Amino acid sequence: MKEFLREKKWFFIALIVGAIILTLPLPEGLSEEGMIVLAMTVVATILFVTEPVPLPTVALLIVVGQVLLLGIASSTVARSLMNDSVLFIMGSLMLAVAVVKQKLDKRIALLIINVTGTKTIRIAFGISVVSGILASFIGEHTVAAMMLPVGITLITLTSKDPKEVRNLAAVLLFSIAYGCSVAGIGTPSGGARNAIMIGYWKEFYGLTISYVDWMIYAYPMFLLQLPFVTLLLFFTFKPEFSDLSPAVEKLKEQVKEQGPLKPRDWTSIILFALILFGWVFVSSEVGMGTIAVLGASAFLVAGLVLWEDLNSGVNWGVVLLYAAAISLGVQMKNTGAAEWVANTFLTMLTPLGADEGVGLWLSVSALTTGVTNTMSNGAAVAVLGPIVLNLAKAAGESPIVIGFITAISSAFAYLTVVGTPACTIVYASGYLKTTDFLAVGWKMALLSTFLMLVFASVYWPFFI
Amino acid sequence: MTQETDSETRFRILICTDGSDESYRGVRYAARLGQGMDADITLLYVRKVDQGMIGGMQVRVARENILEWGLELPGIRYLKKGRDMLVELGQMEEDWDERTTHSDVRGDPLGDHMIEYQNTMGKKIRLRLKVASDILAGVLEQQKDGDHDLIIVGASGRTRNRFDKIFGVTPLALQLAVKAPCSVLVAREIEEGKGHLICVDGSKSSIEAVKRDAMISDRCECPVSLLAVAEDEQRVDHAKDSILEATNALKEVGIKPHKSEIRIGNIVSEIIGEGKHHSVIVLSDSGLGDLERLLSGSTVLRVLEHSETSVMIAR
Repeated sequence: MKEFLREKKWFFIALIVGAIILTLPLPEGLSEEGMIVLAMTVVATILFVTEPVPLPTVALLIVVGQVLLLGIASSTVARSLMNDSVLFIMGSLMLAVAVVKQKLDKRIALLIINVTGTKTIRIAFGISVVSGILASFIGEHTVAAMMLPVGITLITLTSKDPKEVRNLAAVLLFSIAYGCSVAGIGTPSGGARNAIMIGYWKEFYGLTISYVDWMIYAYPMFLLQLPFVTLLLFFTFKPEFSDLSPAVEKLKEQVKEQGPLKPRDWTSIILFALILFGWVFVSSEVGMGTIAVLGASAFLVAGLVLWEDLNSGVNWGVVLLYAAAISLGVQMKNTGAAEWVANTFLTMLTPLGADEGVGLWLSVSALTTGVTNTMSNGAAVAVLGPIVLNLAKAAGESPIVIGFITAISSAFAYLTVVGTPACTIVYASGYLKTTDFLAVGWKMALLSTFLMLVFASVYWPFFI
Repeated sequence: MTQETDSETRFRILICTDGSDESYRGVRYAARLGQGMDADITLLYVRKVDQGMIGGMQVRVARENILEWGLELPGIRYLKKGRDMLVELGQMEEDWDERTTHSDVRGDPLGDHMIEYQNTMGKKIRLRLKVASDILAGVLEQQKDGDHDLIIVGASGRTRNRFDKIFGVTPLALQLAVKAPCSVLVAREIEEGKGHLICVDGSKSSIEAVKRDAMISDRCECPVSLLAVAEDEQRVDHAKDSILEATNALKEVGIKPHKSEIRIGNIVSEIIGEGKHHSVIVLSDSGLGDLERLLSGSTVLRVLEHSETSVMIAR
């Protein structure tokens, strides 16, 4: 019993905090329903950060809370769980697993080393570029999972003794992780957080941001970050080997055993190209979620992936989690809780001169970066989205700019192993220490924040 | 002697390997302690469970992809190197019986793996690749399962800075020193042959530590010295009594101290200073809880953090 209480202490603390909020006098400008939603949001946030229970449990509790505490009909809550954004997240995750199962990673590795040659810096840059471009369309977790064996193989072929390749391992593995992480902002399919923000824009302002619109805003920023990733990694870790000729030659031999592309490979490449085409040119009419689900179905119909693979590879709890978080976000808007929090936050920022322009952007970015380093970036956007969009309204700022700053800043979780999916995956290699993430992560966070503010000031105004 | 009794009297050493130089020094030291047929050695690498949200795709997908490339799980190469060192040091032969076992772990697709080597006299050396929710939990779980008498863990090799302390980045060695129910040796630059320095303060726990270390130092045939530190002149008599009591405790188990020292000054600095002339500093567990340690700035933790010599917390 004692052990159980110790393990679940944050669960009970969260419930007590929620109960205390509900007993507080109603602040001016906040409705009773708003107070309940606020209490639920605080409880959910504590549970997201401390994880005393599996995260999908939080999703289930959000659903139950809406019915029991807010008195919303069960069917209405159930309906609020599914929209195009959630469908898009679900379809994209199935596609992610399907793509990993196609075993195209060795061919991608060959492509990289054929183009880059054998110099370490060129290989690292090549890995970042290829990982980034792929991750911008199919999600960072997919590409990190595909590229990790490429990185480990190059490291182990250089030396069997991990101590001799300590810094080289850091450079190559972070080239994968950060190449993928900076790319996640590039397109709506780069990460669930992007789809969540698109859903909020539509729900809150009736704004439709298409796949191409998103790319116009965010893709140049991703591309600009790539060379800096390589430079920062080299500056921080200084790899032991400046040339990887022996490892590259051995890798080429391994990869060439695969032979030429087979019909199955071509089918999966063509299918993927068609999905991209659908997202770019057709999703405005039929929805991005429809394209993603159609793509997953096509992979299943073509026999390129088994349902069992998708079933075991997708963390379905994440879909449930995002669905419930979005549903709670909508309630924050409907009950006025988001508006009240936004106004309160703005009042706090005013004396600091951060209630408009760059000051406000920086505040929103810092808040998001702080939150996203403690929970998944999708959850961070789901929790903060309603607040920051109301903040934009109250401050007279563009909701598009504030929304982009939130969605993009949520990718700045470079400091911890669990910050971004790609970081979690490369950490599984066993070559990196948690302190490595701190050593280079803060530099990445500063760089990304600076570039984002430059884009918000100089580039985005052309399109608003 | 029945097999059960034999099992109860065996000396079991658990070595945490992470590929660091310190952990391999620990292997060398364990080879000395583990001499004889009544000692077993387990080399352990704890891998964090392959479970996580990672943006909605299971980590297992990435892990399976790595394995399909023919790459090893992290930790295997460290365990193999540790085994090779034990062979080199004469602790095991290539022809020992070998048995491989696998056990499922909830939430991880690959689970635990173990290779057990055993000679005809029943001496066992195990390579254990364990998966756990966190490294500390994995080591403690293994200690409990194997009923180990001593855990050897490499020191992190650097002193914690303010950032680490504020944000709670506590090295595994320090966490184990506080939480493990058995003796813990935090391995640093072990210079063999310089003996053990047992620090005594007259408390019951320090006399227990003397007896405990007497058994361990006897295994490696290391000379034992005693040290008592008085914070001022007035406490010198108490320090002398402590040395006397410890000397008697050693005599009871048939060991004569190589040297006995009484120092006056700051306890932590004096222990660290004298410790430089020994292979291992031996301290007793203060028996304080985590909060009390934090409030009192435990001598044990401060010696552990700042000493350049290996430190053993005897329990």
